[in-house]
Amino acid sequence: MDHHATTEEHAKSGVYHRYHIHTVEAPDRERWPSRFNVHVRKAGLAKLLIKEVFHYGPQNKDVILSRPCVYGVFGGPVGGFAPREEKCVGCLRCTTEFPDFVRIEHNPARRALGDSYFAFGYVDAISYEAASGLIPVKGAGYRGGFGGEGWDGMWTDMSEIVRPTRDGIHGREFISTVVDIGYTPNFLEFDERGRSAGSPPRTFSIPLPMLFDAPPASVRDAALPRALASAATELGNLAFLPVAALAGLGEEKLAVAPLVAPGDDLAAIDYQPRLIAMDGWDAKLHQELSDKFPHALIALRTAFDDPDLLAYFTAGVRVFHLTANYHGRGEQGDFVLDLIRAAHKRFVDEGIRQEVTLLGSGGIIAAEHVPKAIICGLDAVVLDTPLLVALQANFNDECLDRSTSEFQLPRLDAAWGAQRLQNLMASWRDQLLEILGAMGLREVRRLRGEMGRAMFMKTLEADAFAGIEGYHG
Amino acid sequence: MAELHIDLSGKSAEELIVEKHVANLHAGFAHWPRQDDGPPALGDARWPAELILATWLMAEDGRPPGTGLNYKTGASGGGFDKLDFNFLPEADWLPDMLEPDLSIKLNKRGDGRREIEIPIPIYGGGMSYGSVSEQVMRARATAAKNSGTFTSTGEGGYPASLVPLKDHIITQVATGMFGVREETIKYAPIVEFKYAQGAKPGLGGHLLGDKATSTVAAIRESVPWVSLFSPFPFHSVYSVEDHRKHVDWIRTVNTAALVSVKVSTPTDVDMVAVGSYFAGAHIVHLDGSYGGTGAAPEIAKKNIAMPIEFAIPKVHRYLEGEEVRDEVTVMASGGVRTAYDIAKAIALGADGCVLGTAELIAIGCTRCSNCERGRGCPFGLTTTDPLLSQLMPTEWGAERITNLYAAYAFQLKDILRKLGLKSIRELRGRRDLLRYTD
Repeated sequence: MDHHATTEEHAKSGVYHRYHIHTVEAPDRERWPSRFNVHVRKAGLAKLLIKEVFHYGPQNKDVILSRPCVYGVFGGPVGGFAPREEKCVGCLRCTTEFPDFVRIEHNPARRALGDSYFAFGYVDAISYEAASGLIPVKGAGYRGGFGGEGWDGMWTDMSEIVRPTRDGIHGREFISTVVDIGYTPNFLEFDERGRSAGSPPRTFSIPLPMLFDAPPASVRDAALPRALASAATELGNLAFLPVAALAGLGEEKLAVAPLVAPGDDLAAIDYQPRLIAMDGWDAKLHQELSDKFPHALIALRTAFDDPDLLAYFTAGVRVFHLTANYHGRGEQGDFVLDLIRAAHKRFVDEGIRQEVTLLGSGGIIAAEHVPKAIICGLDAVVLDTPLLVALQANFNDECLDRSTSEFQLPRLDAAWGAQRLQNLMASWRDQLLEILGAMGLREVRRLRGEMGRAMFMKTLEADAFAGIEGYHG
Repeated sequence: MAELHIDLSGKSAEELIVEKHVANLHAGFAHWPRQDDGPPALGDARWPAELILATWLMAEDGRPPGTGLNYKTGASGGGFDKLDFNFLPEADWLPDMLEPDLSIKLNKRGDGRREIEIPIPIYGGGMSYGSVSEQVMRARATAAKNSGTFTSTGEGGYPASLVPLKDHIITQVATGMFGVREETIKYAPIVEFKYAQGAKPGLGGHLLGDKATSTVAAIRESVPWVSLFSPFPFHSVYSVEDHRKHVDWIRTVNTAALVSVKVSTPTDVDMVAVGSYFAGAHIVHLDGSYGGTGAAPEIAKKNIAMPIEFAIPKVHRYLEGEEVRDEVTVMASGGVRTAYDIAKAIALGADGCVLGTAELIAIGCTRCSNCERGRGCPFGLTTTDPLLSQLMPTEWGAERITNLYAAYAFQLKDILRKLGLKSIRELRGRRDLLRYTD
């Protein structure tokens, strides 16, 4: 693979470079079940061929062998007698032309990928995005249900004509996806002599509002931390990893934010990280980390619905990594979209939202969830299960959280894994640009908490259908 | 499979191949709706298999199916699929011999321009040459002529074969200006400004390089095999005043044409609509987020802008509040699939609807979503491949779409009779005739 400068190298060079994620096709390593099952009754096919030979004559071999598939399902040496199911895209032309002996069915094995929350449609999308780095594009309109619960009950706005910019993926003007992590004061303070007073801002920037979460305990492949850290190095973002995972890493650990629990050996953090996360509040550990790593920002990883968020702020926490479970549920069962809004609002109501960074994870499993989570109030998202799916992890039953979930990864090659993650991020960033472009926003930082640019099904439906008999809101 | 009646005399292998597959396909479109179960992998929440099969039947004989197939609703779980009509008791229905009037006026401004009235409250939406084949365009335009209504060019130019049908063709002007020429604007009884489209609101159009054949490129005045972006938005329009200037430009080139403004459904769709009216539009065409026939990013189709069911009443009420509702025609599109959807859209406040996907289904679309893949649609619809595009013969397609419109008209009259209304115009904004089903 050609060497190309990482985000870090660009930053050090002092020369402006437009942010770009290097994508290279990284096909699946594990052969997943085909999307469709193709059943051809051989007797029916043989009968057809005989009939056509008599009708068209041997001189019209091309006509007889002309197949009703443009994707190559019947393009093998024996055509329909041994269909290539993996090439089937479900167009149904074959079964329309030959209903008597060709039958196309959805493959239940493919539909069983993922779990009840991470449905196969999301798995399919991520599989494509991680392999190609491209935005999924399809024809024939939307195929899903009308709105729905959770993320599906929310639409983003678009701007019809009044528009400061247009970039999207077509690259004429620049839309920034940079976000700042850390603390900024609400306003500047000066002493009586006009000198700056108060706490100065302490932030660093990452070029995209997506970070990587620490993998669940069940995934022990040593190549996984390397893949996550390498991808984060290339992307310029950060990967949270447990302290124990640092040992196997080289230079790429600079892109790692150690996730520290009480009792961890802090000596294993043998570099100056930009960000360190505490896995749950511990005042003593907070002090110890602040003392030992004075240049690092100390984040707190805790639940969205932790009642003590404001107390942690008072204790000095300025970066919060708020978590829901992998199905996007909080400890009381609330969905992550509502949890984000509630957490954001708590800080807004106290007048301190500008002083903190809110990162969030749990239930964010598709590109569209990223802008929606940011609109609801996050500064950036922390991705968990989508990273594993990009690496073709299989779910063992329902996967709910880091401590209990069982995932099976194929034998992992760190370079392949890193490329898959970069591809996924390239695709998701491009989709974020599409959303921002449609809204007419120049930078993702302006998207945070922009609830006026979101539309919620409950509100729209009540507005449209109120007064119609039988509608009760 | 079709019986083999193909005459071999003097035909090339290519002609025989096309004839063979066309015969098989037509037999298949007739076969599947008459079975107890359709193809197992057919359909989705918006267009369940039953609805696709019912549409195939309606396209065949111009009547609602009498086979028990659901031809009224999808299975999306919301929007039109949650609404139904409060029909009168049977004794109060209008008599069968009374034919309710389905016509709507497209020019309500009384500004001296053409007084266009269409006999059914529907016309065909924009599908560009390149995104669909020339055969499809001709079939749609011929069906529009047969039904006394219109179809739109989309933004891809005006193939010469459409000129004889120009009285039934809306010329679309969009941001890429592909194929927009003075004569194509002069041909048009209606010129449509496309500001946005529901399938990809705020993202513009995109024709993949594989579809930009030399013929397509020639019409679009571009380079063959190079992807074409129709960027969003109009870079000369940043306000309603700028928009007015645009409308005036068209009004100057064609002094008789009506102007339609096609917009998507943002939060302020009501203000966009009233702005379009004050800029001089005769028709405000709202394109909701769940429709679209061409290739679009999945993220856009599902997540950007609101569904048409929510946009229509918002716009209707706002225009009423501004006291201009009776001076502008509101057409709705984006997920309008059935005659019942059309009637519901009108009851919510639209004057009529614009159709796209339903027409393509009538001529063989299975909604497999592979429009953009490889050579394009395997049924010959959304493709420019010379061989594949022959799979949809123009005359056959025109007849199917004409039949579908006839079936819709039949149902709309039936709905009106059961509501005791003599005209489709009486249905507009009658939310009291709807009920929400849970």
